[in-house]
Amino acid sequence: MEMFLMVLCMSMFGLAVTAIAFGAAARPGSSSSPVQPELRPVKTVPPGRFFTDQIMPPAAPRTHVPTEDLLRQIENHVRLEQAAAESFLESPSHAQLHTKTTSAFVN
Amino acid sequence: MAPEQSELLKDLNADEIQRILAFGTRYTLPSGASLFHLGDPADRLFLIERGRIRLTLPMQVRGREEDVVVEERTSGQTVGWSALIPPHKFTLAATAPLETEVIALPREELRKHFAANSSVGYQVTLNLAVVIGHRLQLFQAMWLREMQRTVEKHSA
Repeated sequence: MEMFLMVLCMSMFGLAVTAIAFGAAARPGSSSSPVQPELRPVKTVPPGRFFTDQIMPPAAPRTHVPTEDLLRQIENHVRLEQAAAESFLESPSHAQLHTKTTSAFVN
Repeated sequence: MAPEQSELLKDLNADEIQRILAFGTRYTLPSGASLFHLGDPADRLFLIERGRIRLTLPMQVRGREEDVVVEERTSGQTVGWSALIPPHKFTLAATAPLETEVIALPREELRKHFAANSSVGYQVTLNLAVVIGHRLQLFQAMWLREMQRTVEKHSA
């Protein structure tokens, strides 16, 4: 009888310890344990993209074009675009409207 | 180029042209001179007799405001037609990249003359419509080309 009561007590104690441990593990919220790292929200992580992150090299920095050269490029671009638009107005067609430009400003 | 061959005075007879030109003042602009600024009151329109006029708009380039050329007009052509179109303010800036001669026609005199001579006013208005229509069609096509490039860039 004593033996049976002792086993019963030990079982109850073990069950209580297990229940407390399970409850602590399953409880959401922060833990004061020093080994538990603080979790940050994952929504700040940018979404992964297939292939591009892994395979594409980082974009090369654009070569620095002097402002004067850039302005010349813009002016030349406007001239070329006007010439293209004039050609379209002379004989309007889809092909004339969308001819490719040789402008360095956009290529 | 003779003023009679100006796009604005097309299909007017010699007498009518001379009567309009009598309102005008001839100016010679040295290279680099400004003809008008963006936002200025447009009280005169200009016939280019000789040389060239650059029409520009301001654009921010690397944090600095730069005048970017949007169109160039040459002899026989007209600039400053905002003088005849409300709200009579210049929507572009105009400079002469080289020595240029223009005839300035004052709006008020033209308006009175056209009111008294409706057939002349009608013809000049038709000629002006051609100038404005051409600008509109040109920029429409240029705008669509830019849009097409933007669409291609975004769907690449």
